[in-house]
Amino acid sequence: MSSRRPPRGEYIETDTGNKVARKATLVGTQNIMLGGKTVIQPDVMIRGDLIRTIQASSQAASGAAPNNTAVSIGRYCFLSRGCCLRPPGRLYKGAFTFMPLRMGDHVFVGPASVVQAASIGSHVHIGAKVAVGEFAIIKDYVRILDGTVVPPNMVIPSFSIVAGQPARLIGEVPEGGHDAFELRDLYKTVGNNPQPAP
Amino acid sequence: MAATPYTYIQCPCSDPSTLGRPADANSPTGTEPDEDDRTFDPRAPRSSYSLYPLEHLLYCEDCHQIRCPRCVAEEIVTYYCPNCLFEVPSSNLKSEGNRCTRSCFQCPICIGPLAVTSVETKPDPTLLAAPDNTAAPHSGPYALTCSYCHWSSTEAGIKFEKPNGIHAQLAKLRNGGTTRLTAKERKERRKDPSYRSTATEGGGPGDENLDLETQFANLKAFYQNQLADPNSGDAGLAALGDLGFSSPTSLSRIMSIYTGGSLQDKKAKSRVGAMREALESDEGLQLANLDESAAIEALQSDGHDCTASTTQLADQPPNLGEHHLHGRSRFTADLRPIPYLLRTKRSKRCPLCRHIISKPEAKVQTTRFRIRLVAGSYIPSIAIRPLSLSGGSGSSASGSALPGALLDPLKPAHYLLTFKNPIFETIKVTLGAPAKTPGRFASKVTVLCPDFEIGANTDVWDEALKDGGGGGGEPGRERRRQRRGEEGGGGSQGNINNNNHNQLEVGKIWERGRNWVSIVVEVVPASLRLDGGGDAPLAEDEDVLEIPMFVRVEWEGEPGGDEVGSVAGKDREAREKRELAYWCVLGLGRIRQ
Ligand SMILES: [Zn+2]
Ligand SMILES: [Zn+2]
Ligand SMILES: [Zn+2]
Ligand SMILES: [Zn+2]
Repeated sequence: MSSRRPPRGEYIETDTGNKVARKATLVGTQNIMLGGKTVIQPDVMIRGDLIRTIQASSQAASGAAPNNTAVSIGRYCFLSRGCCLRPPGRLYKGAFTFMPLRMGDHVFVGPASVVQAASIGSHVHIGAKVAVGEFAIIKDYVRILDGTVVPPNMVIPSFSIVAGQPARLIGEVPEGGHDAFELRDLYKTVGNNPQPAP
Repeated sequence: MAATPYTYIQCPCSDPSTLGRPADANSPTGTEPDEDDRTFDPRAPRSSYSLYPLEHLLYCEDCHQIRCPRCVAEEIVTYYCPNCLFEVPSSNLKSEGNRCTRSCFQCPICIGPLAVTSVETKPDPTLLAAPDNTAAPHSGPYALTCSYCHWSSTEAGIKFEKPNGIHAQLAKLRNGGTTRLTAKERKERRKDPSYRSTATEGGGPGDENLDLETQFANLKAFYQNQLADPNSGDAGLAALGDLGFSSPTSLSRIMSIYTGGSLQDKKAKSRVGAMREALESDEGLQLANLDESAAIEALQSDGHDCTASTTQLADQPPNLGEHHLHGRSRFTADLRPIPYLLRTKRSKRCPLCRHIISKPEAKVQTTRFRIRLVAGSYIPSIAIRPLSLSGGSGSSASGSALPGALLDPLKPAHYLLTFKNPIFETIKVTLGAPAKTPGRFASKVTVLCPDFEIGANTDVWDEALKDGGGGGGEPGRERRRQRRGEEGGGGSQGNINNNNHNQLEVGKIWERGRNWVSIVVEVVPASLRLDGGGDAPLAEDEDVLEIPMFVRVEWEGEPGGDEVGSVAGKDREAREKRELAYWCVLGLGRIRQ
């Protein structure tokens, strides 16, 4: 028996080209910003519900509408199966609050990794089963190898290759290795009409 | 070695023929004078120092040659702290050393980052501020705590009064919290008569525990004083007289030898004083502490766990230590927070023509490069993919073999090599590979099509507009066809012998696209069985099937100002013939044992 209608796709494809798996768990979607062309695989969890409870003083003073973005993701990011994005939290002026998690373009997050960074730059590769601690700052062109534990508050400068528990610098990204961070081709390989890898 | 498959390229800097000196007779790579006769052995001990993945290689446009991390000349553009990302001017570097002097420290136990926390609250590393800090926002004392292993500097007895300027504060603190005098303070204390009396009363000379820097400062001051005033020698210690090497007269005598006597001090002859050695702590005398009972006791009570590992000791910054060398910290309790080592941004020069081939922008926070000539933009990349040929009809050949699968010994296997041309000219590629791989276990290698052309890396739109022209037969699509026999074959000459294999024809290209070509390599892996007991067991990675391959790329470039670079050609034709040749190694996979 063949169904007349094509089967419901595994992914929801948005106008801006995001491919979000139906089996992904996005909590507080109104607080999650996707830049477009981002892939969110099944079993991914994004905690958009963990918004900041204390607004920055400048915003409070100006009376502007509160910015409730909890997780912002740039273009061509790839969130692999089973990974989790969770905004970091801390005490600020005596009260506990979450702070936004910001992610640039072309960020790959490997399967089963947990990311609680404050900011991740562009062209970052996070391997499988990596834990990125709260308020870590990862700059551009950084490669984090599988199984790494990045301690809270750690700063990883551009062109670093880190590994280990806790993370330690093990090498530098060579000049010719910049293109390897591009995720445009990987984006095409998933979705409801996947194309084979070139 | 890396996971298979892989392609490593040999930089010509390690090739004896390009070194400009006679080949070393003892060279393990062989010394045939004719370069073409020499097969590169990827297993030679030297080879691992000259093989690099394509991404690690640069390219000199003036020399038209590959450059590797080993042969480029590096120049430091910027120093910066990897933690606070502040740039450190090189003038500071000379005075302050190569570590961050702000408040950036690493954990001496686990190397994780240390954060400044208030000691009064529970030292929870995730809390950057105390819950009650609205009431008392700056309540000291402070400590450095590790957010990974929860080590705290209080364990070493180190607390800070202020939350900033930790580096300067730490410089004055010993482990245990006692203050460490600066040289100036020590000098002032020396003049203090009350201190002098207590020092001479209690204990013998040299008992005072000096740290390395203070001891050196004291010794230096002591000898400088003596040199400046040669008559000040203690009468009691003049026993060495003028004979010893410590005498200022012998020093001036030696100096006169090197200065030709013109600078000889005539007064020197009248000098009778002699230099003496340091006798007190003030003068830099430090008695060796040979009593190790405390260390033995600590070992007995806390065991081996309390000792510092070699890595931990190696991470400790020099000169910041507590004790002299003979009392070097051997316990984790003696370790001190590690100020971050500075990192650098570096530019790279060609070793031959001195042109800059890589130069990052100086600003710490930018990732742009002013110059970045990477080899990947000049030489074709080689991707390896296993090809499984299910028997039967020709059309069933598919490229869906499991990557990383083991190769069966003595059973022919096929691999698809995809060459991608990065330059804007059509290139002609000629491959050379030995029929048998070097080493103990010789696998048979056949490159089915060692000679082919690859189309130029033109704009995808150019190709689309051209609408089906050209001999490739493939429209200008990035996407590779999944399943097909072979077609096209333009640009490959040679005999069209029908091999016994399904669709594998000698001299024919497997597949081609806009700027890429796939060819097939057939291998018959060697058996790794060792005969009898005489043979050495299998060495590490000896089971990897590695093919040395000589790649020659030829193309015609615009003479001057084009993408491929320009050199003053001998004859200025409209088109200039260019050639680049190098060895590379294809690691196909591991052979089943
Ligand atoms: Zn080199
Ligand atoms: Zn710093
Ligand atoms: Zn630690
Ligand atoms: Zn050069």
